[in-house]
Amino acid sequence: MNRAYRTFLPAIVILVVAASFSGCKSGGTSGGDSSGTAAPLADEPNVTFKDLQGNNVTLAGFKGKLLLVNFWGTWCEPCRGEIPILIDMQQNYASKGFTVLGVATNDDAKAVDPFIHTTQFNVNGHPMTMNYPIVMGSDDISTQFGGLLGMPTSFLISRDGKIIKRYIGAFPNGDQINKDVQSHL
Amino acid sequence: MSQATELLRKLCCVSAVCALLLMAGVATAQDGAPAKSAAEVVKPHAYVSLDPVPRGKEFQVAVVLEISSGFHMNSHKPSDSYLIATNLTPQLPAGVTMVGDITYPAGKNEKFPFSPDKPLNVYTGSVTLHMKLAAGDSTAIGTTTIPMSLRYQACNTNACLPPVKIPVTAELTVAAAGAKSKAVHPELFAASK
Repeated sequence: MNRAYRTFLPAIVILVVAASFSGCKSGGTSGGDSSGTAAPLADEPNVTFKDLQGNNVTLAGFKGKLLLVNFWGTWCEPCRGEIPILIDMQQNYASKGFTVLGVATNDDAKAVDPFIHTTQFNVNGHPMTMNYPIVMGSDDISTQFGGLLGMPTSFLISRDGKIIKRYIGAFPNGDQINKDVQSHL
Repeated sequence: MSQATELLRKLCCVSAVCALLLMAGVATAQDGAPAKSAAEVVKPHAYVSLDPVPRGKEFQVAVVLEISSGFHMNSHKPSDSYLIATNLTPQLPAGVTMVGDITYPAGKNEKFPFSPDKPLNVYTGSVTLHMKLAAGDSTAIGTTTIPMSLRYQACNTNACLPPVKIPVTAELTVAAAGAKSKAVHPELFAASK
């Protein structure tokens, strides 16, 4: 058995090290459209955004709605790629108590304002502009959400203000996010 | 070997393979997120074509950008106006002047999962930017530096990193007019003469 132990020891060490690495990942983090581990529900951060006119918009003001906070930028191609999915969701679920909140990470609202009003997206064959509220982000706001590892990053927040899930990267299609939203409506 | 030992051996082999796969995943990305910060994606290195640079002589600076594997950045002339171009901005020391514009390499048109229909003009791997300069008569003799700022915006195949500016510095020695000098790093400058 001693020989067997010596033979298998390296494999056991590798397994333990790898398990400890993977165990360090925070729950609820999910990439793109893949489903992640159910998160211990964290409270949403106490954040106040500025809208494109400079008015305050609090995250707490959305309590009672199922909220998808989507960090994006006009310069970010994958962010633009998923906008039709978000427009479609807003169209389908807004009447059921859901909203997308787009958080633009551009330095200046001047680049965002014309973009949201004039850029047409192909949503199921129909040209549409963004139909959900947009506010401006900042480094401080990103930090309050735990820091952004990449763009786009979205957070699904329950009606009572708990972060249900984080999505890093673009949704390759609407399947997973639609499923997640429907299950929490 | 007993049946129990054989079973243990198989279990350990399977576990080791799984563990290696897990570790590889951890090293490259966390849940699809870029595994590096924006400033870590590109490692720039600056090289000067002459050593020393005599006053009154033209010389070149090459800035080699090593882009991390799995990442791309928009080229100097990206495919759309809303995309953030790669730009190098030098702060020239007194007496040093630019001769012409900075030369950026052409990007490659590539499609990505998030832009399957529209190719993007990007840099990947290693790219080299060139600029031609002249050391005037008033350039201070001795070691001097040319601080530069590189602005870029990088993505992997799933997500983007915010635009970032990182510093890069070229170091050169300026000598009196007519001083002997030799060409250095010819492999970087031959194509851009």
